[in-house]
Amino acid sequence: MGAGFARVRTVMSTVPDPDAALMLRVKQGDVAAFEVLVEKYKQPVMNLVYRTLPDATEAEDLAQHVFLQVFKSAPRYEVSAKFTTWLFTIARNLCLNEIRRRSRHPADSLDETYADNDEQPIRQVEDARIFAPPETLLQGELEEKIEEALSELPEKQRTAILMCRGDELSYEDIAKVLECSVSATKSLIHRGRETLKQKLKPYLKTGAWKEG
Amino acid sequence: MNESDYQALMEKSWRRPLTADEQARLDAWLTTHPQQQQADWELEVTVSGLLTQLPNAPMSSSFTAQVMLAVERDLAAQSRQPGLLAKLKRWLHIPAPRLAWALGLIALGWFVVHQHQANVRSDTAKGLSVMANVASLSNPSMLEDFESIRRLNTSEDEELFAVLTTQ
Repeated sequence: MGAGFARVRTVMSTVPDPDAALMLRVKQGDVAAFEVLVEKYKQPVMNLVYRTLPDATEAEDLAQHVFLQVFKSAPRYEVSAKFTTWLFTIARNLCLNEIRRRSRHPADSLDETYADNDEQPIRQVEDARIFAPPETLLQGELEEKIEEALSELPEKQRTAILMCRGDELSYEDIAKVLECSVSATKSLIHRGRETLKQKLKPYLKTGAWKEG
Repeated sequence: MNESDYQALMEKSWRRPLTADEQARLDAWLTTHPQQQQADWELEVTVSGLLTQLPNAPMSSSFTAQVMLAVERDLAAQSRQPGLLAKLKRWLHIPAPRLAWALGLIALGWFVVHQHQANVRSDTAKGLSVMANVASLSNPSMLEDFESIRRLNTSEDEELFAVLTTQ
């Protein structure tokens, strides 16, 4: 046991990724370290899941399930994998499973799948757009159009574009999550963006975007 | 700057705003290229802006609490599992014991096959020895009257034997 902890300490001192270090603590049963990770990544995970399953409640259930899966898989976590790559791979796989499950049983709801969530309080999700002042309506319309255009993209193109938005994941990391090469990933993003541009062109030509 | 540099700058712009230096290089390139390319770039920048400004997905304030509750439930369920089974499961997750299990199963398989082959060989040897004994018997023609002799009443033999011994 002592040797095990010593090994973890040695690995942690050589781990450049702080998330990986936290994950090693989770691996040793540190629930507080897991809470830190949940707090840090809940929004990025939710953003990805929500744009794959565009129902706030079901997306939230699935996002919670992603983190539960991360916790359950902690004993198998290896530092060789970047934490975010591992996290988003789990998130994407669960989304794909859910899409497949829905295609087999279209009428089922996620609530039936995760029935052990019954005791949880009813969520209160605030939709900020409902209360938006009139001057932000143009911007809101554009957001709606881009959300719509995004939802119509093939899953791989959409996921690649969404993961490419921030600095969190490199092209190499995105390629790992999508299980394809870096050049294929860039091609997916390029094609997806081309589709977005074509779909948004009519709205952008009006200058609504600039005024917004 | 050439076409591939332009492509590289475009890929950078998908992830973050270009730096002043990158923007200057790009502007210089765009001025030497047709109007269409400038319009394309403008559209590219606009889409990047829209994607960056996508609002966060709505999420309940109790998200983390609910995840932690689910984790606690999972831990409680694990602790309710029979200890030996849980230990075995955990042990099976470690690569070395898994390898040991695999080797053990292979060894067991080899032992069973080997034992089966040994049994087959032993049965064959027994069969061969029986056949060898049969081959060493006297001429089978000697046994031609065996059934007739066997059917004879043995009491007659005993009477005959008694007569012979009294003489």
